[in-house]
Amino acid sequence: MATTTLEPRAAGYRRSWVLDWLTTVDHKKIGILYIVNSFLFFFAAGILALVIRAELAVPGMQFVDQDTYNQAFTMHGTIMIFLFVVPVLAGFGNYIVPLMIGAPDMAFPRINALSFWLLPLGGILIFSGYLFGGAAAEGWTAYTPLSGPDYGSTPGTDLWIIGLTLVGTASILGAVNFIATIFKMRAPGMTLFRMPIFVWTVLVTATLILLATPVLTAGLIALFIDRNYGGSFFDPTVGGNPILWQHIFWFFGHPEVYIVILPAMGVVSEVLPVFSRKPLFGYKAFVFATVGIGLLSFSVWAHHMFTTGAVFLPFFAFMTALIAIPTGIKMFNWLATMWRGKLMLTTPMLFSLGFLSMFLIGGISGVMLASPPIDFHVQDTYFVVAHLHYVFFGGSVFGVFAASYYWFPKMFGRKLNEPLGKVHFWLHFIGFNLAFFPMHQLGLSGMPRRIGDYSPDAGWTILNLISTAGAFLIAISILPFLINVIATFINGEPAGDDPWEGNTLEWATSSPPPPHNFDRLPPIHSERPLFFLTHGHGHAAERPEDLEEEPIGESKSGDAERRPEDLV
Amino acid sequence: MTAPTMQAHPAGEHDAAVAVHPGGSGMPTALVGMLLFIASEVMFFGGLFATYFNARASVAPGEWHPPPGGHLDLPLAAVLTAILVASSFTMQFGVWAIRRGDTGKLKLWTAITLALGVLFLAGQIYDYSQLGFGIRDGAFGTVFYTLTGFHGAHVFGGAVGLTIILARSMRGQFSQRNHVAVEAVSMYWHFVDVVWIGVFSTIYLLR
Amino acid sequence: MQPTAARSRSRTKLRVGVPLLVLALAASGCLLPPDPVTEAGQDVFNLYLVVLALAAIVFIGVEGFILYAIFRYRRQPGDDVLPEQHHGNNTIEVIWTIIPTVIVLILFTVSVITLGEVEGRSEDPGVTIEVDGFQWQWTFSYPEGGTTTGTIGSPPTLVVPVNEPVRLVLNSLDVNHAFYVPQFLIKRDLIPVGENGEPNELEFTITEEGTYAGQCAEFCGTAHADMTFVVDAVSREIYDEYAAALASGSPPPATGGGDCELTIEITANNTQFDIDEFEVPADTAFCIAFENQEAVPHNVSILEGGEHLFTGEFLNQPGNIIYEVPALAAGEYTFVCDAHVQAMNGTVTVTP
Repeated sequence: MATTTLEPRAAGYRRSWVLDWLTTVDHKKIGILYIVNSFLFFFAAGILALVIRAELAVPGMQFVDQDTYNQAFTMHGTIMIFLFVVPVLAGFGNYIVPLMIGAPDMAFPRINALSFWLLPLGGILIFSGYLFGGAAAEGWTAYTPLSGPDYGSTPGTDLWIIGLTLVGTASILGAVNFIATIFKMRAPGMTLFRMPIFVWTVLVTATLILLATPVLTAGLIALFIDRNYGGSFFDPTVGGNPILWQHIFWFFGHPEVYIVILPAMGVVSEVLPVFSRKPLFGYKAFVFATVGIGLLSFSVWAHHMFTTGAVFLPFFAFMTALIAIPTGIKMFNWLATMWRGKLMLTTPMLFSLGFLSMFLIGGISGVMLASPPIDFHVQDTYFVVAHLHYVFFGGSVFGVFAASYYWFPKMFGRKLNEPLGKVHFWLHFIGFNLAFFPMHQLGLSGMPRRIGDYSPDAGWTILNLISTAGAFLIAISILPFLINVIATFINGEPAGDDPWEGNTLEWATSSPPPPHNFDRLPPIHSERPLFFLTHGHGHAAERPEDLEEEPIGESKSGDAERRPEDLV
Repeated sequence: MTAPTMQAHPAGEHDAAVAVHPGGSGMPTALVGMLLFIASEVMFFGGLFATYFNARASVAPGEWHPPPGGHLDLPLAAVLTAILVASSFTMQFGVWAIRRGDTGKLKLWTAITLALGVLFLAGQIYDYSQLGFGIRDGAFGTVFYTLTGFHGAHVFGGAVGLTIILARSMRGQFSQRNHVAVEAVSMYWHFVDVVWIGVFSTIYLLR
Repeated sequence: MQPTAARSRSRTKLRVGVPLLVLALAASGCLLPPDPVTEAGQDVFNLYLVVLALAAIVFIGVEGFILYAIFRYRRQPGDDVLPEQHHGNNTIEVIWTIIPTVIVLILFTVSVITLGEVEGRSEDPGVTIEVDGFQWQWTFSYPEGGTTTGTIGSPPTLVVPVNEPVRLVLNSLDVNHAFYVPQFLIKRDLIPVGENGEPNELEFTITEEGTYAGQCAEFCGTAHADMTFVVDAVSREIYDEYAAALASGSPPPATGGGDCELTIEITANNTQFDIDEFEVPADTAFCIAFENQEAVPHNVSILEGGEHLFTGEFLNQPGNIIYEVPALAAGEYTFVCDAHVQAMNGTVTVTP
C-alpha cells in the first residue's frame, strides 16, 4: 500500500519548537497537547488517590486531618473526571477523527486551540484553592447547602466554580468542532454508515456535551451567585431549594458519565476487530445502541437522588434499567466479533479485553443500583465507589490505555515495546481489581463514602488494607508505561504506516501523518476502507449493499464482482 | 521531493484536495457551527428557566411576586420586547439585502439593528434601577435578575457581533457570495430575540 | 498442538492472576448485605439475592465466553489466513435484544414490588421520633417529651421498641445528612426544608432486640466521619420506662434493698462508668449499687451477645439505686448503659 513521504519544510522558514507547539492549530499537535496535559492531571489526581487510600488503610487519621482529606477526595474526583478522562478522550478524538474521515483538519482549527488552552488554565484555577486557604472540599458533586455561602469553603470552592466553568466552555466549543467536522468534512464516499464506530461515539459524545454541559454551567453560575451575591437559589431559609442543585447537577452529571464511556467503547470497537481479524459484528445495531444510550442518558438523572425522598422512583428506575439493553447489545456485539476470529493478544487488545471484563462488572453493579430498594441500602457507600471505578477506570481508563498503545505508533512513528506493555497491563489489571473489588463488600456491609476514618470495630479494616495495596500496585504499574513511552521516544522500533493491519483511514497515511494528513485517499465503499484495499476482492464482500444476513458458519463465495473503478 | 502536484491517477482514488471543499453543498460549515453553539445556549437558558420554575413552584399559588417594596414594570418590558422584535426584522432586512448584493442596505439595516439592541440594553438597565428590589431579595429577586441579566449579557454579545459585521461591511468585506459572518450573527441575534420572548412571557405574562 | 512460549507465558499469567482474583473475591466476603433486622429489610435482602443470582449468571456467561475466546480463538503464529468475515446476523441480534429486555423488565417489576413494602406507612406507628441532624451530631426527641443529644466521642443512642412500626421525622438543621443503619438495609436523607417544607420520614419495624450501629451517609463537611449513632431496640416496657424517665426528669422509685451477698459498686458520670469490668461467682444472685452523678439518664443492664438478661431502671437525676441481679451461669457477658451503649460498656466475668 502506498506510503506518503513527509514534505520537508520550505527552506529559510525556521520556527522555534516551543512557539510552534504554543500556537499550533494543527489537530494532531492539539490532540497530543490534550493527551499530555490530561496525563499530567492524571498523575496529580492519582497522587491524591494514594493519599486517600493511605489514610483509609487502617483506622485512625495517620497522615492528614479531616479537612485535608475532604479536599483530597473532592479534588481527586473533579480532576480525574474533568481534567483527565474527558479531555484525554477528546485528545484522541482530536487526533484520530479527522484522519478516520479523510479530512485535513478539524472544522474550526483556531477554536480547537482555544478549547485546549482553556484546560490547563481551568485546572490551575481549580488547584489554586490550595494556595488560598484550601481547595474545594464538598465532593466533586458539591451538594448545596454544604457548598453554599454558609458552609462551603472559601475561596477554594469559588475557584473551583470558575475553573470548572472554563473547562466546561472548552468542552462545549470542542463539541461544536467535532460535530461540524464529522458532518461537513468527511471524504467522498464516506457516508454516515461507513464511518468508523469511534467516530460515531465521538459524534454522540459531542452531542451529549453540547446539550448537557451548558446546564452545569447554569448551575455553577447559580451557585456562584448564591455564594457571592446573596442569591437564594439553593438556600431553604430564604425560599431556595437545596434539591434543585442536585437536579441541575445530575441532569448534566448523568450524560457526563456517558460522555466518559462512549469514546472508550469506540476505541474498543476499533481495536477488537483489528486484533480479531474480523469486522465489528452488528455495525448498525452498534450505531443505534450508541444513539439510544445518548438519548436515554437524559432521562435517568434522578437515580443519583433516590434517597432524597424527592424523586418519582418508578420512572427513573425504569429508564435506568432500560439503559442496560443497548449496553448489553454492545457487549454481545463485541463478543460476536471475537467469536471464530483469530485473536492477537497485543497490549491494546489486552486492555480492550480488560475493558470488557471490568465494564461488565461495573454494568452489573449499575443495574443493582438501578433498583431503588437496593439503592436505599448501598447509596453513598463504598458500593457506589466500587461501581463508579469499575466503569470509569475499568472502562474508560482501560480504553484510554488501549488507545494509547494502539495509536502511539501512528502519532509518533514508533511502536511501544510489547513485553513492557504486557507487564503494565497485568500489574494494572491485578492492582485495579485488588483496589476496587473489595469495595463492593465494604459498601454492602455499610461503610459510607467520603469518610477519612472508620471504627476499628466495624470489621472494615482488612478489606481497606487490601484495597490500599491494590491502589499502590496501580501506581507502580504506571512505571513500565512511562519507561516504555520514554524509551520508545529515544530508540523505538519504527512503525510504518500500518503496523497493525488496521481497517480505517488513519492507517492509510504515514506515521506520523503529514500536516495535511493525506496525499491521496483510498476509495471508500465500506466501514473498513483500508481492509478492502489490503485484502481486495478475493474475500467476502465489503460493500454495504452486499451485507445481507449471513448464516453463521457459511461465508459468501470468494468472487465478489469486480468494478473497473475499483482497480487500484 | 517537491510540493505535491496534481498527478494523473487511476479513477477511484480521490485527491485529498477534493475532501477539502469548504462546506461544499449544504449549509456553510461556519453556520453549522453557529447553529450548534446556539443549541448549547438553548440548554444554558433551559437550566436558568428550570431554576425559575422551581422557585416559583416552591411557593403557594398567588405568593410568587416581587418582594415588598418591589414591582415589575410590564409596560416598559412590553416596549423593550417591541424594540427587540423590531430589531430582528431589521436584522433580517439586512441579511436579505446582502443576499441581493446590496452592501449599502446591509450597512443601514445592521446599524439600525445595533442601535435598537443598544436601546434595549439601556432600557433594561433603566428598568433595573426602578424596580425596587435586587438579586439579594429572596428567591424571586435571584431568579429574576439571573434570567434577565444573562439574557442581557447575550444581547451585549450579539451587539458586539453586530458591531464587528458593521465594521467589516463598512470596509467592503461582504458580497453576495461571501457573507457567512452576517448570516451567523443574524442567527444569533434571532436566537437572542426568541429567548427574550420566552423570558418576557414567563416572567411578565405567566407570572 | 504444541503450546508456544507465548501461550505458556499467558497461561502462567492466568494461573497467577486468576487465583489472585479469586483471593480478592473470597476476601471480599460473600457479596451480601448484613442479615437484616427489620421487616422491610428482609424483603430487600431477598430482592438482592434474586438480583445477585441473575448477575452471577450474566457474569459467568459473558466472562466465561471472554476467557474461552482468548484460548479457543487465539491466532497461531504464522497464520495469515483471514477468518470468516461475519458482519451480523439479524436473528441472533434480535434474540439478544429481547433477552436483556425481559431480564430488565423482571428486575424492574420485582424492584417496584419491594419498593412498595419498604415505603409502606402504617396508620398508627408505635412511636414517632424527631431526628435532628446537624454538623456533626444527632438529637433525638421523643413524643413523651425527652430529648437526647450526642457529642463527638459520645454518640447518641436512639431507643425504640421492637416489633412495632417506628416512624422517624428527619430534620436537618443545616446541610444535607442521611440516617443510615446498615443492618436495616435502608437509609434516608435529611434535607433542610425551610419553613414551608415537609421533612423526609422513614419508617421501619425492627424484629430483633439488640443494638445496631448507624452513621451519617451524606457528606456533610469536616467531621462527617464522626457523625455516628446507635439504635437500641428494646421491649416496649423498657422503651416506655426510658422515654418516661428521659421526659420527666424525676428519678424512678428505688427498688427495695434486700439482703445482698455481694454488691458491685458502679458509678456513672460524664457519660462514663467508673469501672470497665467486674467479676462475680456463677449461679449466685448479686446486687449492683448504682450511683448516677449527673442529670443524664443512665442505667446498668447485663447482656449476653445482644440479648438483655437484666435491665436496670433508669436514673435520670443524680441518685442511687440498688439493682438485684439474678444468678448467671459461668461465662463472659457485657454490661451497658442502655442510653449510651457505645460509650458506657464493660465486661462481666462470671467465674465457675
